[in-house]
Amino acid sequence: MNSAYIASIINATLRSTTPILLAALGSAICSRVGVFNVALEAQMLIATFTSIAVNYFTGSALLSVVVGVASGALIGAIVAVLQVKYKAADMVVGTALNLLTTASTTFLLYLVFDRRGSLIDERLVSLTKINLPVIKDIPFVGRVLENLTFIDYICYIIAIALFIYLFKTVSGFRDLSVGINKTAAESLGTKATAIQMRMVILSGALCGLGGVALAMGQVIMFTENMTSGRGFIAMAAASLGMSHPLLTIVSSLFFGLCQSIGLALQNVIKSQLTTAIPYIATIIALVVFSKRNKKN
Amino acid sequence: MKKNDNGLSLVLLRGWAALRQPLIAIVFGLLIGAIIIVACGESPLMVYAEMFQKSFIKPYYLFSTLVRSTPVIICAMAVGISWRAGYINLGVEGQMITGAFISTVVALFMPGPSFLVAIVAWVLGMAAGAAYALIPAILTWKFNVSMVITTLMMNYVASYITSYFVTYPLKDTAGDGLSIQTPEIAEALRLPRLSSTTTFNAGFIIAIAVVVLILFISRKTIFGYESKMGGFNPTFAQYGGTKQVKVMMITMALAGAIACVAGNAEVFGLKYRYTDGMLSTTSYAWTGLQSALIAGLDPIGMTVVAIFLSGLQIGGSAIQRSMGIPLEIANIIQCCITLFVSVKITIRFVKKSKAAAKEGGKQA
Repeated sequence: MNSAYIASIINATLRSTTPILLAALGSAICSRVGVFNVALEAQMLIATFTSIAVNYFTGSALLSVVVGVASGALIGAIVAVLQVKYKAADMVVGTALNLLTTASTTFLLYLVFDRRGSLIDERLVSLTKINLPVIKDIPFVGRVLENLTFIDYICYIIAIALFIYLFKTVSGFRDLSVGINKTAAESLGTKATAIQMRMVILSGALCGLGGVALAMGQVIMFTENMTSGRGFIAMAAASLGMSHPLLTIVSSLFFGLCQSIGLALQNVIKSQLTTAIPYIATIIALVVFSKRNKKN
Repeated sequence: MKKNDNGLSLVLLRGWAALRQPLIAIVFGLLIGAIIIVACGESPLMVYAEMFQKSFIKPYYLFSTLVRSTPVIICAMAVGISWRAGYINLGVEGQMITGAFISTVVALFMPGPSFLVAIVAWVLGMAAGAAYALIPAILTWKFNVSMVITTLMMNYVASYITSYFVTYPLKDTAGDGLSIQTPEIAEALRLPRLSSTTTFNAGFIIAIAVVVLILFISRKTIFGYESKMGGFNPTFAQYGGTKQVKVMMITMALAGAIACVAGNAEVFGLKYRYTDGMLSTTSYAWTGLQSALIAGLDPIGMTVVAIFLSGLQIGGSAIQRSMGIPLEIANIIQCCITLFVSVKITIRFVKKSKAAAKEGGKQA
């Protein structure tokens, strides 16, 4: 295994990590304020569709990103209203929204584009690929960071920003208190419900950005149900990272690595079997780390 | 006479109380569907008339609806028993795929008299479905891993691995070889058709039998009571001496075995072979899940809702053919119904658990 191959694996890992990390951060901030958000999958999937649709009609990558993020936030807002405000059961709302988004994106794909399965078109524009001037000429590092988009960089900045906000600011401290004991936080005058709703909507926006990275990152296309369980893998990543933004980076990178290894193995093993790898890895990782948690 | 009247009105009142919320939700769901149909530039009344004509009213389509509802009803039962006991099992799809696939393989390759092959195929398939459902149960018990995530991940694992077997080693090489499917199973193993002009088959009777079995288990057995108490209030159930691990294992194994029956009804009753994606692209398990949620996990209610949702889907494909409205309109309507019901379900759950807590307090 030569260094160029390793570099390309790391590159693929970084790209696969982005959507998972963003969704995992969305999951983490929800659990930090005491909301179990199951609709991560829906928040991502809606953005993959809306971003590609806007991209198709306007040809503007920037507008696609904005609309993608907004559509994720919209699903987040629905979760916030039903689950936080009206106290509907989290599993029911989440599952119904996940299925609703799958159905509506497929519905619109057929109605608007007259397609079944997927939408690939040459008029779709990609996000600008960033190749940093000096770094791109360094042998190994240049290949590792080759052709990444701005979302691939910004997701780490968002993670750090969330860490600083939650753990180093007063308002973040107040948010965390809601997750620890909502009644106690409310008795101190914290608007707990408003904080929870705000966090769920932010989680929607983060998942939306993740969905955009998925649809306009490595490939530029929309496929029916293209998130294929990533929302739940992200949930696992957030839980492994103990809903801590910085630890979540590590766990998300692990799942990104599993996906890129799965892709790399496709030359050797049939793709049906390699595609199953990330899902099996998720279960194994949860088992391995939960055991350690218990001992502590 | 007066007493009788009171009894009747009481039954009606209770029936209305149970049905009110789902019915209101269904009306709202259909209203949202109507808005979408208007947005598509069609008349909702005409579209709905066509949808219901071609799902419930014309006999041919009514039979199609019942055929489609067969696996949905059985999946709803599998979802219902696990959720009722408090285990969020999202993996009915994977359990159904695993079980039905194993049954198909046995049916294809086991030599011997056909009744023996049939029994072994169904029993091994159900055992495989049960085993597949026990994996997340054991992981939850031993490692406290979230069942929501594991069961969902295992759907993908089952789907991809069976896809591998159907695409390569077990693929039917006869014919054009374009379809990814196994060869057909022997005629003697197929479930009999109950109508000469449609695909209506004995699978539906099996579905009804499963419903009766679930009703019996949940209302007449100790296990049914213990599993229900565990779902209501785990602490209370433990206090009453319920062995929760045992209840969890039996519940999940039962759910997995029932899920296999859903897949088998489709393989042995309708398709006569295992085709790649036949149990996942049709989203039987998810429609079953939504039936269970809409009906508040009540077995008879779930059956009615499952038939209704299957009818929506049959009607949906009819209007896609004739009116150009994508068939996913049916799925959109059913998800909206679930969402409308969801707000109410919580209120009921909260009330129940409060009541249970009160009762527990009194006993202590």
